Amino acid sequence: MDISQDYFTCYSLPRTFEIDLGVLRQSHRVLQQQYHPDRFVGFGEAQERLAVQTTAYLNQAFATLSAPLRRGIYLLQLLGMDPMAPTNTQMPMDFLLQQIELREGIEELSRVPDPEPAITALARELQAQAEQLEVDFSQSFAADNYLSAETAVRKLQFIVKLQQQLDALEGELLD
Amino acid sequence: MALLQIAEPGQSAKPHQRKLAVGIDLGTTHSLVASVRSGQAETLPNSRGEPLLPSVVRYLVDESPQVGVKAEAHLVDDAANTVMSVKRLMGRGIEDVKRLGSNMPYLFEACDQGMPMIHTVAGLKSPVQVSADILRALVQRGESSLGGELVGAVITVPAYFDDAQRQATKDAAQLAGIQVLRLLNEPTAAAVAYGLEQQESNRGEQQGTIAVFDLGGGTFDISVLRMEQGVFEVLATGGDSALGGDDFDHALAEWMRQQRQIPQKLDLAQQRFLLRLARAAKERLSTEHTATLSFEGWPGGDAYTDLTLSLEQMNALLDPIISRAIRATKRTLRDAKVSLDEVAEVVMVGGSTRSLRVQERVAELFQCQPLTSIDPDRVVALGAARQADVLAGNQSGEELLLLDVLPLSLGLETMGGLVERVIDRNAPIPVARAQEFTTYQDGQTAMAIHVLQGERELVQNCRSLSRFELRGIPPMAAGAAKIRVTFQVDADGLLEVNARELTSGVAATVQVKPSYGLSDQQIADMIKASWSNVEDDRSARSLREQQVEADRLLEAVTMALAEDGERLLMKQEQQQIVAQMEQLVMARNGQDHHAIAKQIETMAKASDAYAAMRMDDSIKRALAGKSVDQL
Repeated sequence: MDISQDYFTCYSLPRTFEIDLGVLRQSHRVLQQQYHPDRFVGFGEAQERLAVQTTAYLNQAFATLSAPLRRGIYLLQLLGMDPMAPTNTQMPMDFLLQQIELREGIEELSRVPDPEPAITALARELQAQAEQLEVDFSQSFAADNYLSAETAVRKLQFIVKLQQQLDALEGELLD
Repeated sequence: MALLQIAEPGQSAKPHQRKLAVGIDLGTTHSLVASVRSGQAETLPNSRGEPLLPSVVRYLVDESPQVGVKAEAHLVDDAANTVMSVKRLMGRGIEDVKRLGSNMPYLFEACDQGMPMIHTVAGLKSPVQVSADILRALVQRGESSLGGELVGAVITVPAYFDDAQRQATKDAAQLAGIQVLRLLNEPTAAAVAYGLEQQESNRGEQQGTIAVFDLGGGTFDISVLRMEQGVFEVLATGGDSALGGDDFDHALAEWMRQQRQIPQKLDLAQQRFLLRLARAAKERLSTEHTATLSFEGWPGGDAYTDLTLSLEQMNALLDPIISRAIRATKRTLRDAKVSLDEVAEVVMVGGSTRSLRVQERVAELFQCQPLTSIDPDRVVALGAARQADVLAGNQSGEELLLLDVLPLSLGLETMGGLVERVIDRNAPIPVARAQEFTTYQDGQTAMAIHVLQGERELVQNCRSLSRFELRGIPPMAAGAAKIRVTFQVDADGLLEVNARELTSGVAATVQVKPSYGLSDQQIADMIKASWSNVEDDRSARSLREQQVEADRLLEAVTMALAEDGERLLMKQEQQQIVAQMEQLVMARNGQDHHAIAKQIETMAKASDAYAAMRMDDSIKRALAGKSVDQL
């Protein structure tokens, strides 16, 4: 198996944002069954090593394609773009202000006596925003409008970070 | 993969002969060996029919060591030469051992790598050697039961074992002369033992989420697995390494002491008496509604009247302890992003899950009856045996595939004692990930690589796995070199690290082989601390970052002043910059990262004009004496 090929080719998927996650999961399982180091026990060090590398590649490929944010970034990277470059910092002012507001909202939650309903509401809002950005990305990308796709994926990055922050807070508060 | 097994007709070695392979549960208190015979996994007992081998080794002068029951008999009269619970020492340094153990009656000595060595009459013994002696006994039992030489063994390890602990386990097998087919996580082995991949769920599909609830004497582990068409995938693992069935006994003993107003200061014999009473009560209450506890034979002068303990009372005493396990379970489910009602089966492992109250509470939590039909002491070894059978190539179907995850995050030390995560906890293995770093100073030709494992943001709070140096980097400006560090974790969970400077191709590789690893307690503490210290860590991180930034600025300005300060600046301008530097040094040595950031900004503004002057100056000098077409 060629571990230098791109992840979409690896799973025989079209190079688009909209992919069938069921097909991805199924292909991943089939390839793992075939290439996992467990299938090469006793075949000698070289074969076992190759199996480790191949499976590591598959795990990376699956992790990249199964998460919308990483899939979006990867699609642009395949075109030679670098949406997450540290120099790439310009964001629309209204979006940044909204981010600050959301972040403050999360911080306030730790002072609320019964935070569970508020956490659920905020999680729902973030999820809705993420889904909208995924649609934005998908449409822009399909229309070859890569710059607006890049903006969408960078906005999505902010939302995903907030989701992680909220997750961590939820873990702490509801323990 | 079958395609690669090329054998000429007639040359293939007895095609229908089964290869002999075993599964080994190398446990803290006892170990087991199991194998698949006629399609059934079974534990292999000793000649007296006992499947459990106590994990105890006694060393003797000029004789091979005794292992198991024989050794256990000498735990008291030959304590210094009789080693138990060696699993707790695996992959640990002498420092960890000192912290761990006034209750270990051995004399320890550090060897050159910091590995703890135990003084015995047969010489110094490392934990790896002691484990190897246990493994040898198990392999012998396996070979004599199965009647032939083994091709290899699957050895189980706790899911939370770090790189050092796994490596030590593998080293022990090597020392004992056993081919390790795979190191397998204990919860995965337990799920495999129930053959869950062969059952259909209620929905008629071969898939589902499984929780493995493992409550031993002193530790609690919880793992969440997904099973789909013969593939077992660990989604998350967690637990509490200071929680176990022993806590039940202590809670009951403490209740008895209070009921009879026995003074708090108990001697060893009195403690043992109460604990024995506690265990007897548990036993009685597993079939009856009340238990009478008699203090007859109490060691010590006083006499106490009988006590009655009801099932309800006992449950009330156990509940707070079980609740801790329930909380850890919920936390791990959250890590796995799985809700309670998605869990299709709960597998019970460990002697303490025999407690009916534990079974009730688990059933109540998951709203389903946990699986208890396989002996919880043997279930792990039985699962390992099935996996060994697959890996030895005895199963034609190749249906069963076990996919594990990394138990603790891996990272590298960066500037200011911070840890940069390279691979996150719970990433499926094998996994490889690369991260690029750069040099910090002009002309830097070497870089120290410090590999760490743990969940915290500061180096001092994580476990150091290995340090090595990448040398021979060609001298370049700070930030120009590109050093790519690659981490690769194999299917046994063992790490290899590579570093390469990309512009020159200079490379260094280490098989991370630390002399010691984390204590279970440390791992649990590290995971717990990463939750409770998120805030602390964050501000500590900001402080370090600002300090690094301040140092960088101070160094740059100092060097510039030394180079051309006199030439380019008026005396007063020089003094102003120096005054700003002093203020920045003061802020930098404080604890307030906001203050440092503010001072950095002021300092940068104050030196802006100077920086511009230097730039003009260097351009002028570069151009001096050159005509336009020479450029």
